[in-house]
Amino acid sequence: MKNGSIISIKNVTKRFPVGEGEFTALKNINLEFQSGEFAGLVGPSGSGKTTLLNIIGSLDSPTEGEALVLGKSISKLSHKESALLRNKHIGFIFQVYNLLPVYTVYENVEFALLLQNIPKVQRQKMVMEALDWVGLASMADKKPDKLSGGEGQRVAIARAIVKKPVIVIADEPSANLDAENTYAILKTMRELNKNLGTTFLFSTHDEKVMGHLDRIIHLRDGAVEEDEIINVKTLTK
Amino acid sequence: MIQFLLKGILRDKSRSILPIIVVSIGVALTVVLSAYMNGAFGDMIDQNARFETGHVKIMTKAYAKNIAQLPNDLALLEVDELTKSLEKDYPEMQWVNRIRFGGLIDVPDGQGESKGQGPAAGMAINLFDEKSGEAKRMNIEKSLVKGMMPKKNGEAIIGDDFAKKLNVNIGDEVTYFGTTMNGSMTFQNFVVSGTIRFGAAAIDRGVIMVDISDAQRMLDMENGTGELLGFSKLNIYEDEKVEFLASNFNEKYADDKDEFTPIMMPLRAQNNLGEIIDYSNYMSGIFIFIFVFAMSIVLWNTGLLGGLRRYQEFGIRLALGEAKGTIYRRLIMEAILIGMIGSIVGTLIGLAGAYYLQIVGIDISGYMDNSTMLMPSVLRAKVTFELFFIGFIPGLLAMVFGNMLSGIGIYKRETAQLFKELEV
Repeated sequence: MKNGSIISIKNVTKRFPVGEGEFTALKNINLEFQSGEFAGLVGPSGSGKTTLLNIIGSLDSPTEGEALVLGKSISKLSHKESALLRNKHIGFIFQVYNLLPVYTVYENVEFALLLQNIPKVQRQKMVMEALDWVGLASMADKKPDKLSGGEGQRVAIARAIVKKPVIVIADEPSANLDAENTYAILKTMRELNKNLGTTFLFSTHDEKVMGHLDRIIHLRDGAVEEDEIINVKTLTK
Repeated sequence: MIQFLLKGILRDKSRSILPIIVVSIGVALTVVLSAYMNGAFGDMIDQNARFETGHVKIMTKAYAKNIAQLPNDLALLEVDELTKSLEKDYPEMQWVNRIRFGGLIDVPDGQGESKGQGPAAGMAINLFDEKSGEAKRMNIEKSLVKGMMPKKNGEAIIGDDFAKKLNVNIGDEVTYFGTTMNGSMTFQNFVVSGTIRFGAAAIDRGVIMVDISDAQRMLDMENGTGELLGFSKLNIYEDEKVEFLASNFNEKYADDKDEFTPIMMPLRAQNNLGEIIDYSNYMSGIFIFIFVFAMSIVLWNTGLLGGLRRYQEFGIRLALGEAKGTIYRRLIMEAILIGMIGSIVGTLIGLAGAYYLQIVGIDISGYMDNSTMLMPSVLRAKVTFELFFIGFIPGLLAMVFGNMLSGIGIYKRETAQLFKELEV
């Protein structure tokens, strides 16, 4: 792993059994991500974006090669160790906000901290801080069904970043949002990326999202087609 | 975390209502049935003890062999001495003499002609000495339908139905015809001081109750008694204690071949009561097992449905870094919380039902007209301390067991599929 690199993908291949044969989702991938990157995996369906995010997010392990995340080899982690890595250091944002419907906004965000056994007083502070970041502190007591799409996704962002993870993985975060909400959540994420130094990794085919990324990795048929460094420093609507 | 889970249970009605209803019904049924069985079997045992068997009964060996014939010719003699020795050896027990006898009751009219006759089941107990506790033990005062308790020798109370059948009124004289313990004929007049109904058809049909001293005189049984009954002074029947007491007493006479040697029989060795006690205990266990088993299957299915409904939630939790084992343990924790809520609700409902059945009972007198079994005609539940927690056994066990089975599915969940699953 290079200096400052928090994710190192070395010769990673991932195959899935299909019937009596195999499907190769990733072919000999080599990538490095530095701390504080705002990068995206782009490509058509079946190009391997989600598989790669799965491996980086310790939800799956490579068939061949090595994926090092925060110095830990994903294929060597037990289920419990993978869960601990996600619990402490990785936040997830999904295409659908996936908030727990019976809990309030506050409780949805708090849940990530409950898993870490953080004391109540500290939890309260961290949750309100996270809701402040996404501009939803006033909606802490609302249930998810009272939120708009954009607000729901912002709560999901708050839940992902409340524990101040090193990496946030966002799978098509704008898929269900209109242009205005897409802009708003990207702006929020960008600010968090700058202020907290959190590394954001996206999977997207949304050009609105691509326009805000510092680095775009084009995948096709499980291989890296192009690794494009853009260096966009400011967001434009 | 428990607070968080509890909020989820209370807010997500579909997660909690059905299991709570299932657990509540099962627990309520367990409580009511346990109370009813305890009450009914307990009453039956208690009634047998009070009227017939005592907690222990001492007879001669020969009397015990022919007990169905009430063979007073084989009665215990020199009972006062035996009682003194028993009081010394077993101070925790109270000893009372009982004589049961059969015979004929004749009711004369004004001219001395018979206006009614019937076979009588005589029972002689100590009616006059309050210390014996016999009148209270047999609940005579409260069971009187008409008239009053005998106040002096020569007075008797008879079964109310019997009195109607013989056309006897309070103050009428009746004549007892029978045999003494020596086999000679005996006649004795009694004035009817009251009529009685114990609520046990086997007794009520033809009972005549007189004081023990009247019976001893009438049957030539001075210082003798057919049966010597022992009751725990606390009036609680304790099976093991009584068994021990009986074997201890019988050991003293083990080598004595005399057929008039006393023998002590514990309650369970009489009238098949041992089988009833064991049956009552087995049935309680079987009921609990059936409820645990049946509810576990229902709750297992409820848990499976809940697991499907909460598929998304478990996915999120896995993604957020909750280990599968932790989710499983928390599911069990939820099951314990739901099981406890259901058990508390079910226990309260069950206790209310048991209390109602304790007050009102179920009248089975219609089925008892020709019965020779000594059992109460109204079967009542009995609310006891154990009912407050007995329901928690099936309530919690079934809920936890059902959820343990259904929760296993969480271990089969592939984290690699989470992104796809959570897109839906």
